[in-house]
Amino acid sequence: MIAIYVCAVIAVYAALRVIAERNTMRKLPFLNVISFAVTAIIALLLPNPITIIAAAAYFVGSTLESNAIASTWAGGIKKP
Amino acid sequence: MLDEPARILIAAVLCWINFVAIDVFFKLPESGGVCGATAIAEEVEKGGGNLHGGFMLGNIVSSPDASAGTLLAACGVYCAGLPGGLFAALLVYIGNRICYDPGYAGTTGAITATFLVYGMTQVGFAASDFIAGMVIAIMTIQGISYVHSSRLIARLWDFRNRLLGGHP
Repeated sequence: MIAIYVCAVIAVYAALRVIAERNTMRKLPFLNVISFAVTAIIALLLPNPITIIAAAAYFVGSTLESNAIASTWAGGIKKP
Repeated sequence: MLDEPARILIAAVLCWINFVAIDVFFKLPESGGVCGATAIAEEVEKGGGNLHGGFMLGNIVSSPDASAGTLLAACGVYCAGLPGGLFAALLVYIGNRICYDPGYAGTTGAITATFLVYGMTQVGFAASDFIAGMVIAIMTIQGISYVHSSRLIARLWDFRNRLLGGHP
């Protein structure tokens, strides 16, 4: 099972890039790579039909969080 | 029958072509879908990258696009075969709506990836090769150099506009 090790190495690499990058907005693409790698690891560790729901829920949730961080950092919804 | 590392690399190339072609076709590099995606694009441009490439990086971060569709479809085929991949496409569709994304890039990418991955499992590949391949593919776009990847996407975006018309 080389696939799972590839995903784990990429997750750790992306985490180091998140720490090294100073600009908050430019951290988010690296954070996105971590989400992809963790979603892949969830699916590879648990080959069960219900895993699809868990992997999708994790991925959509982490995307929504990144969306919220980026939008808030960009100024968010302007209150009247 | 190829070894696992070779299959993963071939799967990475196929996943890369699948998700980049669909994202560029569905105009992800045109503009930011939400204000956060636009802000990421502006920071990428400030750092020396290209604005249109930055829009695509920002849109990938902000909503499940064809890359997410390809990954979840590969997970679906790995866990439950062809129906699993199509169920993953439905989950991507719901995810798009949750993230206020009006587009269909994610759902389309998931459906094409389902058939791609299922087809390749019939000729000696494993669905797990495509899961690892997709993680490698997204790393090349999002995780190595935003300057170079945004310029590459901008070049593909120009090529699409020259081929299919539409404004630059």
